[in-house]
Amino acid sequence: MPSPERTDSLRRYLRRLPVAAIVAAVVWVAVRGFYNPALCAVTQFVARVYEVPAATLIMSKDSDALVGRSDLRADSGWLKVPLTEINFNLVPFLALVLAVPRPFAGGAWRRLLWALAALVASHVLALLWESKCFAAFSLGAWSRATYSDLARNVYGALRYFFEIPVTFTLPLLLWVWVYPERVFSLVGLDRLKTA
Amino acid sequence: MGAWKGFVATPAGKFIVRYVIVLSVGFFILALHPVNDNVVNPYTTFVARESAAALRLFGEHATVTGQMLSSPRFSVAIYNGCNGLEAILIFVCGVVAFPATWRRRLLGIVGGFVAIQVFNVVRVVSLFYTGIYRPQWFNVSHVFIWQSLVIILAVVLWLAWVHRYAVARADR
Repeated sequence: MPSPERTDSLRRYLRRLPVAAIVAAVVWVAVRGFYNPALCAVTQFVARVYEVPAATLIMSKDSDALVGRSDLRADSGWLKVPLTEINFNLVPFLALVLAVPRPFAGGAWRRLLWALAALVASHVLALLWESKCFAAFSLGAWSRATYSDLARNVYGALRYFFEIPVTFTLPLLLWVWVYPERVFSLVGLDRLKTA
Repeated sequence: MGAWKGFVATPAGKFIVRYVIVLSVGFFILALHPVNDNVVNPYTTFVARESAAALRLFGEHATVTGQMLSSPRFSVAIYNGCNGLEAILIFVCGVVAFPATWRRRLLGIVGGFVAIQVFNVVRVVSLFYTGIYRPQWFNVSHVFIWQSLVIILAVVLWLAWVHRYAVARADR
């Protein structure tokens, strides 16, 4: 049987997790009002850094991003991207973090800031690949003339990668990265001898 | 560089490296067209049929066409990303990457798979009724609440498996 000490610490963690999830959800609801427009603005800036002409438009509307191009007719089509699908993983990440006892102690806040930066960067890239796929696939003859098959495949693969694998696994990986000792001590991996 | 090499030599470091590799391979395989057509889509249809069976228990006249779950009151399409496969992959890769006997791993994989399946049916049924009674909450509930819960569930199941079965021997 697992040691009583390890059982207690895991039980405490699991007991804190539902409360942490609620707090994380409240934080997410509180910040998304200014986070969503900032995410759209930063992604538009990044998209324009390497395109000629710099014409990608990404605007925040309610909880969606509207993606279009300024060099095409206004009625040529806009993509609506639900931003919740991109940034919801902040909730499980914060829940896993806040359930850790004294989550900011011992200099952990520095790693936490880096982890949040990585999560934000993943949101920017996810929205960026959505906008590139919109331009590469959805604008008819203009898309076919402007993007090669290779470019379409690369952007399609990046969109899938950031839409599902990164979105779903990053919270867990970043949580382990911020608190490696505490997570592995929670499960008892620190007690196994190096093979 | 030296610190990284030192970390990778520890059980925790080895687990992290193995986990990322197994996870990347798993998601790559899932993205392949033949796998998508012959495994992911039939599996998603299976989830839709399970959910329809559960809804019929509550008196709904639910039917399934492909991956579309319908009743006279509401219809919902189950796509890749809503079928629970991501949570299963997060959990299964964590089990496979962790140092344990294959018997214990198999036990974990089967148990975790069943638990996530049941959770996913609850999710689909709950979303179905949200769509009927509170359609304005459907999108938030679908992505924000249930997707977050499914990730947390995968982590909790993995913690429970590691705690109960995988590391138990080290404490004896």
